[in-house]
Amino acid sequence: MPRPVFGRVSAQKEARSARVGATVAHLDRDRALVEAARDDPAAFEPLYRRYLAQVYSYAYYELGDHHDAEDATERTFLLALAHLGRFEERARPADGEGASTFRVWLFRIARNVVANHRRARRRHPTAPLDAAAVVPDPLDVEGRAAAREDVAAAWAAVGRLPADRRRAIVLRFVDEMSTAEIAGVLGRSENAVRVLIHRALRSVARDLGRGRAAKDSPAR
Amino acid sequence: MTFPLRDRADADAILTDLYLDALLAAHDRRATDVPTSADLDPAIRFAAGRLSSDLARVHPSFRFEERLAARLAELAAHMRLAAAAGGSDARAPLDPSLDPHLDPAFGPDEDPAADPESLHNVRPLLLGGALTSAALSLAGAAYVAWRRSRPPLTPMARAVRAVAQSRPGGGARQGVRPRSLN
Repeated sequence: MPRPVFGRVSAQKEARSARVGATVAHLDRDRALVEAARDDPAAFEPLYRRYLAQVYSYAYYELGDHHDAEDATERTFLLALAHLGRFEERARPADGEGASTFRVWLFRIARNVVANHRRARRRHPTAPLDAAAVVPDPLDVEGRAAAREDVAAAWAAVGRLPADRRRAIVLRFVDEMSTAEIAGVLGRSENAVRVLIHRALRSVARDLGRGRAAKDSPAR
Repeated sequence: MTFPLRDRADADAILTDLYLDALLAAHDRRATDVPTSADLDPAIRFAAGRLSSDLARVHPSFRFEERLAARLAELAAHMRLAAAAGGSDARAPLDPSLDPHLDPAFGPDEDPAADPESLHNVRPLLLGGALTSAALSLAGAAYVAWRRSRPPLTPMARAVRAVAQSRPGGGARQGVRPRSLN
């Protein structure tokens, strides 16, 4: 069943949440910043600084290219600021104290923008996350070579996952979102997200295990 | 206790989820001990451990960060101006299809049509208005000029023009302008 938190809220439900406003008030950690930005759009900056790296990372892991990631990040934040008036906070007690429905909303925009990017460049497909293998490391001494190989292998394993599993993994591990938040971003139920991540980890484990086995027996 | 197949998969997924919560929390406080259930598949633990340490968050360049901050400040100023000018909805020119709230049923795999190009419509709202009014002014000026040079040929005007043209040197040069009779 889709999670109702981020769906449309009826007037009746809104009235109910207004009555219990005192309870809901502490739930969305971005509430104060969002309200300030609504009053004065110039006050959007703290929200921007707070989520820049997260949105950029998401775009980078999805698109595999720094320039594309920058472009997607820029569009995401411009859209978020321009649409801020339409954002509705939908936190509920089950979301926990650190939850931010603003973050979910922002990532839904990011997901939309990234999808649009990918559609636009479909004619020139690139393997996502391949860039990770060639990111120059200034501390690339011999002792770190193996670690770098491991990182590249992990990135490659994630890159080989189907899109929905990859997205869920990136949101969970890179952006450190809760299952509820990921469900909100992906428009799925929490249970579906749990299963998605579980299966993704299984695939990654198999993939990394194969790579490790191949490395252990290179002569064979 | 045995679970039916589907329930078993759900139970495994919940165990994994709990483990990930603990793992990421431990990561935050730089702890190495992560409480885990004995029922959790070691392969899942291995993969989760690898991903939590290898999938790092990437930060954009400082230059990009500041450039985007400047663009946002510019947009904020535009929105403030639009609001001050009486516009109740400063973000109206943006494409509503990009608003996730308007499309709560984002498909899991298929993303809704989005047109981030519409971002460029923010400023054109003002520029478009200015251009339209400039174009109207030019068209108006051209029409007035045309009207002045080609007055309607009423019988009286035709007669006056004929008289003026019959005079040596032409009426216009002597200050007789048919349009004054209109």
